[in-house]
Amino acid sequence: MPHAIIELPAFAFTGCGAAGRYRHTMFVEFLGIPRERAGISEMELDAETLGQVLGELSARCPGLSELITSDGLHPSLAANLNGAVFVKSLDTRLGGDDRLLILSADAGG
Amino acid sequence: MTSGHAERVPISDDVLRQYVGGSGLGARLLLGSDLDSCVGPAARKNQDLTPDPLSPEAPLIFAFSALVGSPLTTSAKFAVVSRSPLTGRFNDSLASSGFAIAGKQAGCDAIVIVGRAPVLSVLVIDNGNVRLEPADDVAGESCPVTEETLRARLGHDFRIASIGPAGERAVLYATISHDGRHAGRGGSGAVLGSKNIKAIAVRGTQRVEWAHPRELTELSRDLSKRSFGPATAKYRELGTAANLLTFNRFGTLPTRNFQQGTFEEAPNLSPEQLRTEHSRTRASCVACTIGCEHIYSLGNGGVRIEYENLFALGSLCGVSDQAAVLRASQRCDELGIDTISAGGTIAFAMECVERGLLDAPWLTFGSGDAVLKAIDLIGRREGIGALLAEGSRRAAESIGQGSIAFAPQVKGMEIPGYEPRGLQTMALGFAVGARGADHNRSGAYDVDFSDKVDRRNATLDSVRHAIDTEDRAALMDSLILCKFLRRVLEDFYGESAAMLRAVTGWDVTADELYETAKRIVATKRQVNLLAGWTPAEDTLPDRFFNSPLPNDPEASLSREKLQELVAEYHRQRGW
Repeated sequence: MPHAIIELPAFAFTGCGAAGRYRHTMFVEFLGIPRERAGISEMELDAETLGQVLGELSARCPGLSELITSDGLHPSLAANLNGAVFVKSLDTRLGGDDRLLILSADAGG
Repeated sequence: MTSGHAERVPISDDVLRQYVGGSGLGARLLLGSDLDSCVGPAARKNQDLTPDPLSPEAPLIFAFSALVGSPLTTSAKFAVVSRSPLTGRFNDSLASSGFAIAGKQAGCDAIVIVGRAPVLSVLVIDNGNVRLEPADDVAGESCPVTEETLRARLGHDFRIASIGPAGERAVLYATISHDGRHAGRGGSGAVLGSKNIKAIAVRGTQRVEWAHPRELTELSRDLSKRSFGPATAKYRELGTAANLLTFNRFGTLPTRNFQQGTFEEAPNLSPEQLRTEHSRTRASCVACTIGCEHIYSLGNGGVRIEYENLFALGSLCGVSDQAAVLRASQRCDELGIDTISAGGTIAFAMECVERGLLDAPWLTFGSGDAVLKAIDLIGRREGIGALLAEGSRRAAESIGQGSIAFAPQVKGMEIPGYEPRGLQTMALGFAVGARGADHNRSGAYDVDFSDKVDRRNATLDSVRHAIDTEDRAALMDSLILCKFLRRVLEDFYGESAAMLRAVTGWDVTADELYETAKRIVATKRQVNLLAGWTPAEDTLPDRFFNSPLPNDPEASLSREKLQELVAEYHRQRGW
């Protein structure tokens, strides 16, 4: 299935990530199973912490919601910031133009 | 094989408990020494581990798993253990399915083969009866045709492990194939071929007994249920091929013989794209609930596709042509060739051609036709194929002119699809691996893809993580359970102990298995020491030192740093 890159306008959504509430516009990239579940390869949203991103994803992407709990991502998934650092803490601060990658934690095989 | 003699010898419970089965038991039997009381004359001869691994006296061991024949998911596995003709060092390659169960039901914990049959033969093990039959009708045949022919001849209740033409011609990375799967790395197929054995056919009808059937049934049911969950979704839905785009995104997808960490045409080889152009079916090994195999249509048949095929025959050779990569994978399966070593050696040759070190102008990066031609030449050991059939290290030694610096191997084993500069805990795992660069014996990439370490800047703290993944892999390969269960098993040692208790009745504990894992790793090293290993082998090719990845300047590794990590690894191991 080809994967469309869909840039979602923030104003189309309600909840914690609604436009204007957070200062930073950042990108989420989905790889592997998260991409399958989300149905898209990339999303733009406003958030300042990892916890806020996950809250937004849970609300926007029903297919991902079962893999996101109040504690964070399901252990089968991992989050990485800009291809560099893997992050877990929901308090992790995100800067403008950051790219958060959501991928399967099981990287090899 | 030379004398046509077969002997059934008991293995003591002490040895089985200390080494469990699979890789661990195989390593112990390979050592041979002081096993007189439990292993027969064949294995007793194995104390000298310096002869050529392809010589008649070199043993080849099929070791079954302690758990095989139980209802535990993924437990139908066997290990093939020998010294590797590719590396000269310890080798254990694993495969799955009915052959393992048949071996266990024939009453075997292991089959040790030494000698050389006078003519190309089939070794038939029919419960307690062992005999050699001529293999004239399958000489030169592919692995699938060999299996089909022999089952038609012997009966469909036989399970067949066979070599293809590559094993018959001693390609140093020839595989042993069973039911489309391969004991793939290190050249086990060449070792079997050197014994003039085309195939082993096993039929077993004995019931496998379990110490605590009710407890085992409950454990099995629970494990199967968990194996359907999110922890294994990747394998079910996309297969290991899902790694391709992830690794490309992280700049860790080896490309054009490790000259780059990203491949601009990677999306074309992704499973997401493959399934748009090829119909896909899923399959699984016997007794497996995960079903990780994704078989893509190709011509009138299909081909199992894994990440390692796509990387080795695709990005590593700069090839993005889907059909060429699928066909190359299929051709390797037919010939009985390890796809990783084939791709690594061909990519190395392509770079040699690019640098003017090898006269084969057709062998260029990006050419799917060249990859296919090279594979066929390797399988026949014709022309340049005779050189490439030796693997990249020996080819480099033959070509000279400094080419060993970019031969993509450790201890002679071609490096799998994990860029060491961008995955530095894995780099350590590759360097110290008993069988050379291998992602199945060190799962250190899991650590690199976590918040435990900085994957591009390994520190001494990375070492304990590399050791932990290596220990876990050693135990999994001895139980044997599929590594795709690793995130399903939340208390790995504790749950493993419970399974072993239920099957064997041993009062084994998590702590005991923790020590068992370390014992198995140490035993593999002991084999290597007897085979001539030196500390200098625990390193990477020069290519990876002091030259960061072109697209990721932070992914840089120095020789001194790796040496420091290796020294710390040896210190923590107590070696």
